Amino acid sequence: MALVYSTLTGILVLFGAAVMSLEILASNLMSPYFGGSIYIWGSIISSFMIHFSVGYVLGGYLCKRTAKVSPLLLLLIIASIWIMLIPKIHPVTGAFVSERIDDVRYGSLVAMNIIFFVPVTIMAMVSPYIIGLLSLHERVTGLSAGLVLFISTMGSFLGTNITAFYLINLFPVSVIVSGIGVSCLMLALFSLLIGLDKRLACSPPPAPRA
Amino acid sequence: MAKSCNIVDRECILTIHILAVAGRKLVAIIFGAVLLAVVLADPLGAEEKVMYEGDSIYNHIQIKRDGQEVCMLFGRYSDARETCMNMAKPDQSLFEYTAMMFVGFLFHPETRDVALIGLGGGYLPTVFKMHLPAVRLDTIEIDPLVYKLAQQYFSFRPTPMQTITVVDGRQYLKKTSRRYDQIWLDAFNTDYIPVHMTTREFLQLTKSRLKKNGVIVQNGHNTNNLFDAQVATFRAVFARVFIFNGKQSGNSIIVGSDNPLYLPPKFNQQAKSRTKIGTIDLLEEAGKYAADPDIKQAKVLTDDFNPANFLVHQEH
Repeated sequence: MALVYSTLTGILVLFGAAVMSLEILASNLMSPYFGGSIYIWGSIISSFMIHFSVGYVLGGYLCKRTAKVSPLLLLLIIASIWIMLIPKIHPVTGAFVSERIDDVRYGSLVAMNIIFFVPVTIMAMVSPYIIGLLSLHERVTGLSAGLVLFISTMGSFLGTNITAFYLINLFPVSVIVSGIGVSCLMLALFSLLIGLDKRLACSPPPAPRA
Repeated sequence: MAKSCNIVDRECILTIHILAVAGRKLVAIIFGAVLLAVVLADPLGAEEKVMYEGDSIYNHIQIKRDGQEVCMLFGRYSDARETCMNMAKPDQSLFEYTAMMFVGFLFHPETRDVALIGLGGGYLPTVFKMHLPAVRLDTIEIDPLVYKLAQQYFSFRPTPMQTITVVDGRQYLKKTSRRYDQIWLDAFNTDYIPVHMTTREFLQLTKSRLKKNGVIVQNGHNTNNLFDAQVATFRAVFARVFIFNGKQSGNSIIVGSDNPLYLPPKFNQQAKSRTKIGTIDLLEEAGKYAADPDIKQAKVLTDDFNPANFLVHQEH
């Protein structure tokens, strides 16, 4: 079970970090096409909020439907590949949208959703999905939901700060985004390969306290 | 009137008693008077007064007045950028760089259209209003509070030959159909740099908004590594790049142009028609031209890779 828990922790941390790192980088991606005003930040933050909300509800639903972790992992693979393609998607999208929508508020909102809806929604599914899984395998205490969110949010903290304080100064944005995509892909593939579902199913849940 | 007092002398004792009580009151009155005088005289603050202090989405702004001089200060503590104007002599250049930017008129004396990014207190538009009335000036400022304060405290009023647009500078240039002889870039805080206006792609955009022989004039600070990166970026975009170094400040002006009409060695000769703009002596500013400037090796800034906010804090 140690492998299962470490892998799940790794997934929570990495995808929590990835989501926030992308949010920081989004302003660098958007500002050449839509400017650097408060409107852009409004669009970035509110778009991510949409993606999170949809991801949360989809994550819970999918977990309930499938009761297995592999569907999530497959989706995370798709999200990772999408992220690796963002450096190609974003200039085309930015140019296309900014030429057709004059108001930078709506333009940036549309562009943000085209570029980020799929990967961020999928990545937002991780926390509720894992909480749901743990409860299905009866490994839940009152602390569990809080712990899962704590771990994933600490990952977000790391992603935010490492990106803003260090990565942006050291690497081109396109390299950072590709790096995020590659890391996410490798972790998702690894998790798939070690057969998390079987390991969770085989070992019995902890005995209830007398 | 202290005199030795015989302790049994009643009159003496009474006198001392009265003095003690009255003395305390007298001391209190004198102390109060001195305090009042100090407060009224205001020896530390002199006449400097904070007229306004507030926040916009983009800036923390203070307006200070010292006699006839009004200043707009951006940021707190570590950020010391300010723009000042002498309200009795509004065209007087209180900072070196504001005079230096007019070297653009040496490169292009017959300028008809100028775009200025960054309003501040409106000093530059005021000089245009007073001494360059035939030149069209479009000012672009992202912060609506800056525009409001410029109107309120610096009497900023555009003339019929001037416009003011409250929008992001890069967005304005992208969408405008106007073309300019000169584009002046004065948009940077020392604390926070809008990175999308330092890149190669941005400078290429500004170049595309120039008329033939047009020039870009950018204000910078030569005291940090961002300046070297900006020069490198200018050099990657423009065929000719010229640097003017401030003598009294860490300001430097970068001028970029593909084919300027005149070059610095010729300035003395060609500037016969106009050597002064108000109190600004163009030939004196031309003297700040650095023929062989000391610029460190630096990476070109691009939309993809732009550590401008990191470089600006790396002092030379």
